[in-house]
Amino acid sequence: MTAPAQEQPARRQSRPVVLLRPVPGTSAVHDLWAGTKLLAVCAISILLTFYPGWITIGLVAALVLTAARIAHIPRGALPTVPHWLWIMVVLGGMTAAFAGGSPFIELAGAHIGFGGLLNFLRITTLSIVLLGLGAMVSWTTNVAEIAPAVATLGCPLRLLRIPIDEWAVALALALRAFPMLIEEFRVLYAARRLRPKLVLHSRRARRRRWALELIDLITAALTVTLRRADEMGDAITARGGIGQISAAPSRPKLADWLALSIIAAVCAASILLDVPLPGHH
Amino acid sequence: MSASPATEPRGAGPLRPGELAQASVLAALCAATAIVSIIVPFAGALSLLGTVPMGLLAYRYRIRVTITATVAAAVIAFLIAGLGGLMTVVHSAYIGGLTGVVKRHRRGTGTVLVVSFFAGAVFTAAAVAALAILTRLRHLIFDAITANVDGAAAVLRGIGRFATAHPFPYSPRIAVGLDWSADHLKWLLGEALHYWPWLILANGIVSLMIVSLIGWWALSRVLERMRGVPDVHKLDAPLDNAPIGPVPVRLDQVRFRYPHTDRDALSTISLDVHAGEHLAITGANGSGKTTLMLMLAGREPTSGTIDRPGAVGLGRLGGTAVVMQHPESQVLGTRVADDVVWGLPPGTSIDVGRLLSEVGLDSHAERDTGSLSGGELQRLAVAAALAREPALLIADEVTSMVDQQGRDALLGVLSGLKQQHRTALVHITHYNNEADSADRTINLSDSGDNTDMVDTMAAPIATAAAGHDSDAPVLELAGVGHEYGSGTPWAKAALSDVSFVVHQGDGVLIHGGNGSGKSTLAWIMAGLTVPTTGSCLLDGRPTYEQVGAVALSFQAARLQLMRSRVDVEVASAAGFSAKDDDRVVSALAVVGLDSALAKRRIDQLSGGQMRRVVLAGLLARSPRALILDEPLAGLDAATQRGLLRLLEELRREKELTVVVISHDFAGLEDLCPRTLHLNNGVLEPATTTAGGLR
Repeated sequence: MTAPAQEQPARRQSRPVVLLRPVPGTSAVHDLWAGTKLLAVCAISILLTFYPGWITIGLVAALVLTAARIAHIPRGALPTVPHWLWIMVVLGGMTAAFAGGSPFIELAGAHIGFGGLLNFLRITTLSIVLLGLGAMVSWTTNVAEIAPAVATLGCPLRLLRIPIDEWAVALALALRAFPMLIEEFRVLYAARRLRPKLVLHSRRARRRRWALELIDLITAALTVTLRRADEMGDAITARGGIGQISAAPSRPKLADWLALSIIAAVCAASILLDVPLPGHH
Repeated sequence: MSASPATEPRGAGPLRPGELAQASVLAALCAATAIVSIIVPFAGALSLLGTVPMGLLAYRYRIRVTITATVAAAVIAFLIAGLGGLMTVVHSAYIGGLTGVVKRHRRGTGTVLVVSFFAGAVFTAAAVAALAILTRLRHLIFDAITANVDGAAAVLRGIGRFATAHPFPYSPRIAVGLDWSADHLKWLLGEALHYWPWLILANGIVSLMIVSLIGWWALSRVLERMRGVPDVHKLDAPLDNAPIGPVPVRLDQVRFRYPHTDRDALSTISLDVHAGEHLAITGANGSGKTTLMLMLAGREPTSGTIDRPGAVGLGRLGGTAVVMQHPESQVLGTRVADDVVWGLPPGTSIDVGRLLSEVGLDSHAERDTGSLSGGELQRLAVAAALAREPALLIADEVTSMVDQQGRDALLGVLSGLKQQHRTALVHITHYNNEADSADRTINLSDSGDNTDMVDTMAAPIATAAAGHDSDAPVLELAGVGHEYGSGTPWAKAALSDVSFVVHQGDGVLIHGGNGSGKSTLAWIMAGLTVPTTGSCLLDGRPTYEQVGAVALSFQAARLQLMRSRVDVEVASAAGFSAKDDDRVVSALAVVGLDSALAKRRIDQLSGGQMRRVVLAGLLARSPRALILDEPLAGLDAATQRGLLRLLEELRREKELTVVVISHDFAGLEDLCPRTLHLNNGVLEPATTTAGGLR
């Protein structure tokens, strides 16, 4: 599914954000069990939250890039970064650079501190690596495999009387409904663009109009969504309620254990390397 | 789908199908808003809207439904937008759940304020505790903020020094002022970082209260607006544990009336369905076809008796299976093979390959259901029904949203059922020729004849009408091509090298099957999509520079109706004040609607009326051309004829330029004397070369 932004004339040549659709083709990464990828993303997200140091960021970035290479992700899969985002990053970098601070480097006789810039770069890289991690899952996993994997991973929760199967079915259905809703919102947005724009002169009238429009849009979106839900409820009833959700249940294979060991090794390495260096923050 | 709280006992136990569907679809909605608010910069405010779906769930259903939806939405948001997405969903669910529960207990704004204060304290305390543990992340974030503020302060001082060094009017005062601001900026940040837990706590509580109030306001307004939304859910799982045996079934003097209505949805009828027979049920919209389906699927009639040997067993092995009208909603799995087994009791194993080959989808087992055409989706739904070896299969208007090719394939599958299964087939349809293959036909229309039935017909040969050459061209398409996702691995060509001209007063039918690119063409002609190659000109200027000059009526009319009432809707779509009664009435009169309808709520309109209200709004702006995407889909024969007659008149008398996009031909030849065939994004050459096509 593609973001509605593609309809805007100004971004004619830009590449849209494509979500939850694997890059065509097969590779070792595509073939991994979806649960492995979920575990890996969870583990790395937690790791980066606790240890956001350069070493961890670097190791994870290397991992993501290697995985992307193995999965044959072409550069075209990346959405176009709008110009103003680049400008913002450069501006942010410049203000941070003026802060100076340790470490200091002698450059052409000037005593320049890079501390501020480094901190800024670190938090920017961290965000990019996290986004890349999510994108890797989205680019290599078939949506149909996610819910069964969550059901398998959540098995232990059953002991706590948590309805994990119900959750997995809801997740599967939500993923099924997601592209349909996006398509309907695309039409809704287009229908709104076709309407004339009212010119209102007082600020108060404009604000009221804005609030009313917002409620109108939410109501239209919800009406469509609820209609979809009613039909889906009928379809579930017609199938006699919930039961199986996958024709070919998949399980972790040798490759999955290998991948999980690599992730574990990366986590362990970054913790070991990071901890004795308190100077990193 | 009334917006009032559920009246049935809330109770414990697993979710019912309706609850599960509501939880899933609203979870998708909440996840979508959360994801957009994270990945689109400056769209953070959008996450406020995520509270409305969750609030609606908490208002209408038990808490288990909201929790299920939260989990599903959180996983999706985490997959796409990472931990930030997950936190946004949790936040929305927390606030939405709160306001929904308060609303359900009929409390007011005061309660929301008090509850949100305490809820905010708890939530933010948890956040502060998390930050206290995550020292490194906290230091990194604080260091980055400090760096940016220090940098800004350094720049201010630099400018101040510059001002001191280069005397110009007021320069000393500016220098002092800048220095002062720089100092105070740093001091403020230092203080803020020193007292960070308190600052975050106060900020968290206040912002959570504000967000709760906004969510409360939006939810209240939305609930008020949604009071008139009709319940379109039809099936209810019968609570019957008797042995399954839906056929032979005998209906004796059965009559049905929906609660709170004053006329029968199904007038008295008696009929039998025998094991293994093929029965067709025909009739116009409103004659009770769908209600009869509900009776067969286990709903209790208002009067009369229904005899069957055992329970209905809806969706059970050897019970009753139902395939309904909307192809997309039928299919529940994301992969074709998964959909066939969807809902089967755990442990049941079936031959998926055999079922798929029976409906002609054998090579599609691994395909994504999102990529199937309407006809393929319906055949998949039949396969899923057959996986239960049903004794009774009810097909309710299964072909009405499907193109001709898909219709033929689907009918082939249905009429071939008898050879391999002992299934009784009840086929409800409003197409004459679909009833032909049945053993028996029952007509529910009062008239008793078949005049209100739709005939399907063969495609007319592509024609290029001459005779309009003298008129100025309105729309000129030259070498139009379009590719979705250009430059990405998902690039998909939708149109290539499409060229034609539409003149003033022309009626053009653009005909093509599902996936032929005809909707893309409609969007390009309306200026909503910029073609990747070629040009689409309206009066010599690109259409995308004049969005709104060409009117487009979408297939889903409901999506185009945004206001709550007919008069407000028409006025808003046409751009005049809703108080201007005369203009509203005359706009409605143009499309043959009575002025009494002006005060009617949108959700109380029939499908045909909705389409006319859309047209009223569009035509009141005097568009240069009118494009209609599948204008006849889902309408019965009489409504179709009325709409076509109206459009023909408008075209003839007001010289309205009409372009119809459709997979159907029936009845369109008068409205659209000229037909263009679109196949896989390419226009098929016309048989006559005289004018028109260029």
